[in-house]
Amino acid sequence: MIRFESVSKVYDDGTTAVDNLNLEVPTGSLLALVGPSGCGKTTSLRMINRLIDATSGTITLDGVDVSSTDRVGLRRKIGYVIQHAGLFPHRTVVDNVAALPRLLGGDRKKTRARALELLELVGLDERFAHRYPWQLSGGQQQRVGVARALATDPPFLLMDEPFSAVDPIVRAQLQDEFLRLQGEIGKTIVMVTHDIDEALKLGDQVAVLRTGGVLAQFGTPLELLTRPVDTFVADFVGGARGYRALGFEQLSEETALTPHTPVKLDERVSDRGWVVVVDDKGRPLGWVDGGNARDASAATLHTTSRFLPLTASARELLDGALAGPGGTLGIVDADGVFVGVLSASSVVEAVQGAAA
Amino acid sequence: MTLFEWLTDPANWTGSRGIPVQVGFHLLYTVISLAIASAIAIPLGIFIGFTGKGEAIVAGSANALRSLPTLGLLILLFLVLAPVIAGQLVFVVPTIIVLVLLAIPPILTGTYTGIQSADEAAVDAARGMGYTRTQILWRVQMPCALPLLISGLRGSTLQVVSTATVAAYLGLQGLGRYIIDGRAQADFAQMAGGALLVALLALALELLFSVLGKVLVSPGLRRTTRRRRTAPTDTATAALTTLTAAR
Repeated sequence: MIRFESVSKVYDDGTTAVDNLNLEVPTGSLLALVGPSGCGKTTSLRMINRLIDATSGTITLDGVDVSSTDRVGLRRKIGYVIQHAGLFPHRTVVDNVAALPRLLGGDRKKTRARALELLELVGLDERFAHRYPWQLSGGQQQRVGVARALATDPPFLLMDEPFSAVDPIVRAQLQDEFLRLQGEIGKTIVMVTHDIDEALKLGDQVAVLRTGGVLAQFGTPLELLTRPVDTFVADFVGGARGYRALGFEQLSEETALTPHTPVKLDERVSDRGWVVVVDDKGRPLGWVDGGNARDASAATLHTTSRFLPLTASARELLDGALAGPGGTLGIVDADGVFVGVLSASSVVEAVQGAAA
Repeated sequence: MTLFEWLTDPANWTGSRGIPVQVGFHLLYTVISLAIASAIAIPLGIFIGFTGKGEAIVAGSANALRSLPTLGLLILLFLVLAPVIAGQLVFVVPTIIVLVLLAIPPILTGTYTGIQSADEAAVDAARGMGYTRTQILWRVQMPCALPLLISGLRGSTLQVVSTATVAAYLGLQGLGRYIIDGRAQADFAQMAGGALLVALLALALELLFSVLGKVLVSPGLRRTTRRRRTAPTDTATAALTTLTAAR
């Protein structure tokens, strides 16, 4: 658990970077610090590993006041990932990852083996291990940065704009993989970002800071989307809040599906509308348009629509229904077997029913 | 006598005044001066790069050092030191001092700019990971500073090798002998020969430094790959390659 208690940072020239910040990051969760530039989010992060010292207030890690611990020792317990990865340019990828364990006196062979494991964990195979940082793309460097931060298996992780120096496609991919990784390793993480979508996507909790280092709102992504405290937060969170909030909601398990009789491949289609086509085990293959095609064959099969389980987010379900053939979404069960369809209006009704 | 004849005359290659001996002396002055200059400039450069203190003063005085007229300084030092130092050293010490002063600025500048130019993100990462300041210096900043440090050394070496000829002014040995003596005897082949040998020596040292750079500097900083070149793909080059290989 990382806790900020009335933490402030005032510089010598009188500017307040962080103003009376109170936050709590439960063990194993990720807090995203987000806000416009100059809101003190990076300062707040760097006060945790004492790259910057707080002027007043206390920051505790699992109950221990950071200002009472020695800086170097403190930092070695906290993984640190920064924007441009900050890899050591003169060391190979594997040596970068093994650098800190080696510094702490780890055995060369063991640290290397562990480094290779970590590289694999972040999605880099052995081919990359003996390259130098300049030979990697920005996204690959960032992966190495994450692996390096995990090298000593620290309980805490600080990440300063870790994914903002890469292009949007790679960023989304890194974020997805990072979510999966966090699911496995369950570190207590504080991440700084200026990208609210990243904060909402990755954060278990999000702290929105405003210029001058004042906490504007601290809550879960859903709370931020559905109940922003003021216009600053609402504007910062941005448009389509209601729709985006659906991304954090699920329909009740009892939501009634519309029955739908699928056909098998090569069977005749008697219905005039869109019909789901399934394989022998009942798993959906796609849709066939009964208005145009007489039978379901590979040639008449439309495969662009997704089939989702009811456990998917309300946003995915609604989006799937809106984009689906005939305004419906095919639903599958946990085994991937087709069970029925949902219309957009039934998704909306289910959401409203849950809210009421 | 032509330059070629002078160079190929066996008499010039033997004896206590022969070319190998003079090259040896020349190298000796060069190496001593560089060693002393490095012993001063590298620690000082590390201090400046590490603390960021004194950069303005040192950079200014380093530039002033560069503009000192070597020959004038040599004579001055000789006159100043002559009463205090006895024996052969009275010639050696001023010469070495002059060469050391000449060698310091490039090494000094190379060292501290090298340290300061170490990738900021890498240094920040190291700090955040829990490297102590000295660990950052030795494990991150110094390795990253090596290319600039070596190029500073290389610059110093070239300057010292060419300027070490002034040793002959005070009657010392070295390749400067040929230039000074040749001038005195109006033996222009000898003068040119001496100059040529200095140039060749400089070139050889230059090569040595490029090898040193390859050995000492991480390929990660040199940005070169050890991968083999890919085979030529266009037919013309391929044909040429086979032809050359067949010969």
